[in-house]
Amino acid sequence: MEMKAKVKEVLVNLLKVKPEELKDGVSLEESIGVDSTEMVESVIALEKAFGVKLSPKEISKSSSIDDIAKIISSKISV
Amino acid sequence: MDKIAITGIGIVSPSGINKRQFWANIKSGRSFVKEITRFDASKYPSHIAGQIDELNKYSNISERLLKKIDAFSHMALIASELALQDAGIDIKNEDPNLVGIFLGNAIGGWLYAETELRDLYIEGREGVSPYMASAWFPAAPQGQVSIYYGIKGFSKTVVADRAGSLMALGYGAKVLNKNKLNMILAGGMEAPVSPYALLCCNTYGALSKNNSQPQEAYKPFDKKRDGFVIGEGAGIVVMESVQRASKRGVKPLAYISGYSTSCDGIDRINCASDGVELARAIKLALADAKTNIDEIDYISLDGAAINLWDDSELQAIKSIFGARTKDIPMSCPKSMFGNLLGASGAVDMITTILAMEHSLVPVTLNLDEPSMKGFNYITKEAKEYKIDKALVISRGRGGINSVLVVEK
Repeated sequence: MEMKAKVKEVLVNLLKVKPEELKDGVSLEESIGVDSTEMVESVIALEKAFGVKLSPKEISKSSSIDDIAKIISSKISV
Repeated sequence: MDKIAITGIGIVSPSGINKRQFWANIKSGRSFVKEITRFDASKYPSHIAGQIDELNKYSNISERLLKKIDAFSHMALIASELALQDAGIDIKNEDPNLVGIFLGNAIGGWLYAETELRDLYIEGREGVSPYMASAWFPAAPQGQVSIYYGIKGFSKTVVADRAGSLMALGYGAKVLNKNKLNMILAGGMEAPVSPYALLCCNTYGALSKNNSQPQEAYKPFDKKRDGFVIGEGAGIVVMESVQRASKRGVKPLAYISGYSTSCDGIDRINCASDGVELARAIKLALADAKTNIDEIDYISLDGAAINLWDDSELQAIKSIFGARTKDIPMSCPKSMFGNLLGASGAVDMITTILAMEHSLVPVTLNLDEPSMKGFNYITKEAKEYKIDKALVISRGRGGINSVLVVEK
């Protein structure tokens, strides 16, 4: 599965939103109105799912699925 | 105080969700107290309760929100929606700054908290949901209801053990009297059927241990009483000024016309044995409602089914109503579905309003041999009475007394 699809799957299962609500190039805030607590939860879940360390500076409400996938890919490949 | 109109009722209880289903079960005198099935409670001294199964069936709340909140907030959201529907109010048409929320709760949202605390000790801090911080505390339902409807007006949560929701109603009525809000969602919610909350209720020592006969366990005012039975649910009403209700062309279901509260100041847990302070609260509530003792047609009793509490409650009533005591019908309908602790007073008021509407006094279940004589207890089956004015009594640990006067 490509990285974007995996990120989307983690967030859909975690936040209980519909997959079609999460659009690749649109920020999480704009697409699903993510709140700050959901962001905390999302960062922890993504860290667990991909075995990487992420800081709130790297992933925020204004990140899109594309942005998140890129950051995680860069960390995995290092 | 000026009368405040109640124009919508929302009820979520073991005896039914929505007022029609609730009243059908209440007037028939059916018990909904059962053995606890949500978890293995068999080793608890008291393991019976009034439970609500399939809460989701009655709710439009998204899964996304449900994972962030405890059951008591879920119950409050359902009861609020039912109350608004009943009142014919679309909150989108209201000025959000002039809508308030006044709710009562005793113990908070432990079903959520227990699970997360378990995860804290098993998995460490990262195992705990970040929603824990906003899910468990007693004012969480107020917050969730305000977010759900975009309500922004002056609001409060009252934590006063079992008296919380009746106090929230009284407080709400007083605030409306100051004309600072257009309308209020008021009442209470409680979800104590969880392993830790049940343990705390058991430790308090006030619960019935008659586990082998759940439906007969809650016996307020009976010689064989051995404590109350807990229940879960929410009771929320829409309150607004009489003028606003009339402007909307709505006939109020009832009015709150008087309220008062007092404290015994005797003990950390127990109430005073003489009922003097409760009597004072009754007197003040009647004065607030400009009502004399001859006008009260029904008394909704607190009925903790504990000798000290029941006897002092009756003593207080006797000291106020004197010779009339034996004539006024009185009952404790929560004996059918359990004591909803911080939500009990609001549910009692809702039951009283429905009793007024149908001119029918519901029973105190399991009251076979009264421990004190000289009172007009309604037992066995509901009895027809025209009720124009009624008194609702709700009390909490440490000797908190609250009394509301409701009228047609």
